Amino acid sequence: MEKVQKYSQRPRLDMPELLNRVDNDRELVHDLLAIFKEEFPPQLQALHDAVASEDMTQTRVVSHTLKGMLSNLSITGAAKAAGKLEQLAHDGTKASLQEAFTAFELQVQGLLPEMETHMAEVRR
Amino acid sequence: MKILIADDEALSRRLLEKTLERAGYEVVAVENGRLAVEQLSRPDGPRLALLDWVMPELDGPGVCRAVRGQQDLQEQYVYMVLLTSKESKEDIVTGLESGADDYLTKPFNVDELKARLRTGERVLLLEGRLVEAREMMRFKATHDALTSIWNRGVIMDLLGRELVRSNRESACTIMLLGDVDHFKLINDTHGHPVGDEVLQEIARRLLLSIRSYDFVGRYGGEEFLLVLNNCNPEFAEKRAEEVRNVVSSRPIQTAAGALKVTMSFGLLLSKDWGVRPVGDLLYEVDAALYAAKAAGRNSIRMARPNLPSSGVSVHAGEAVHRLR
Repeated sequence: MEKVQKYSQRPRLDMPELLNRVDNDRELVHDLLAIFKEEFPPQLQALHDAVASEDMTQTRVVSHTLKGMLSNLSITGAAKAAGKLEQLAHDGTKASLQEAFTAFELQVQGLLPEMETHMAEVRR
Repeated sequence: MKILIADDEALSRRLLEKTLERAGYEVVAVENGRLAVEQLSRPDGPRLALLDWVMPELDGPGVCRAVRGQQDLQEQYVYMVLLTSKESKEDIVTGLESGADDYLTKPFNVDELKARLRTGERVLLLEGRLVEAREMMRFKATHDALTSIWNRGVIMDLLGRELVRSNRESACTIMLLGDVDHFKLINDTHGHPVGDEVLQEIARRLLLSIRSYDFVGRYGGEEFLLVLNNCNPEFAEKRAEEVRNVVSSRPIQTAAGALKVTMSFGLLLSKDWGVRPVGDLLYEVDAALYAAKAAGRNSIRMARPNLPSSGVSVHAGEAVHRLR
């Protein structure tokens, strides 16, 4: 529990890095966060289902998409965890899949509320 | 410049779209490989493309293979950059071997992205110049330098092809061989530059007088050959009259003033002659042209088989140059 709190309290989106990458275009950052807010939950659910059913193809596809989304927003820790899942699915390593998914969930826990905060910030 | 972005992931697509719009590109964004191929196959489609590697329906390397497979049909080269999070040497080799020109690792660095696209633009610019030079050479090799209509070599090829086709299809091809009346006099009186103006205007008028699937070429100095396809023989003489009129009906404006210019024509209908060598038919239509000259010029005579070319002796060719 302590570990979960530790992760959820830590800001995962590197806003200065993201703003730097988009030439300080705050409107674009707002757009990207809005897209993330909409796209992330169904993708997370799809990943959960794929891991639960040990569907390696679907796990690889969805974790690849999530890795791309997260790395585009400079959420590096979660992107790395998604990449680990993608690699395991690619290699067909079912044994470590659930463990890797749990690690990924920890990385993204509390991410959406954090996005809300950032969206309000960039609006100002 | 138009650029295609193909990425199934909305966030990445939006990021690329905005980044490239800001860099001055006209962006076309699609969400799968199939749509990417559709866009890149359009004649006015983008020639620069950023393709995500992993996409539904068709992945990035698949798009590259499909586009390269059509390259023979495409007029212009498409420069394709793969976007990938794959970093192994094997993956990169696979991507490049599929026909990609370059690759970029995600998440991309904006400056690197722009720099790589500028490389692509340079390649496309160079390719454009080469195509332009090739087209210019092709034009020069097939067109008459003065009048810009088909040159003798091409019009002869086209004539041969059309005669074969019309024989095969039991159709009729009309040959009209025209010669400018008293052209030497124009040159001698007004000078060769004015003679050139006359030839240019005649070529222009002849070109305007034919249908898009007919041909006109410069056969010799002041001789023009028209090849009219799929003609109804009953209207051949009327059609030839229209062509003659297009030249003679109004004067030609030149640096020496308006000149009244006429042409004489030999007319030949392929269906009257059956399968005959092109050279024989040209001889006959030339003899008919001579007959038109002998009849007072500004007229047309038809070449008919088993007749000494509308009353002209078979030695007509020898006398033609004296009459022109």
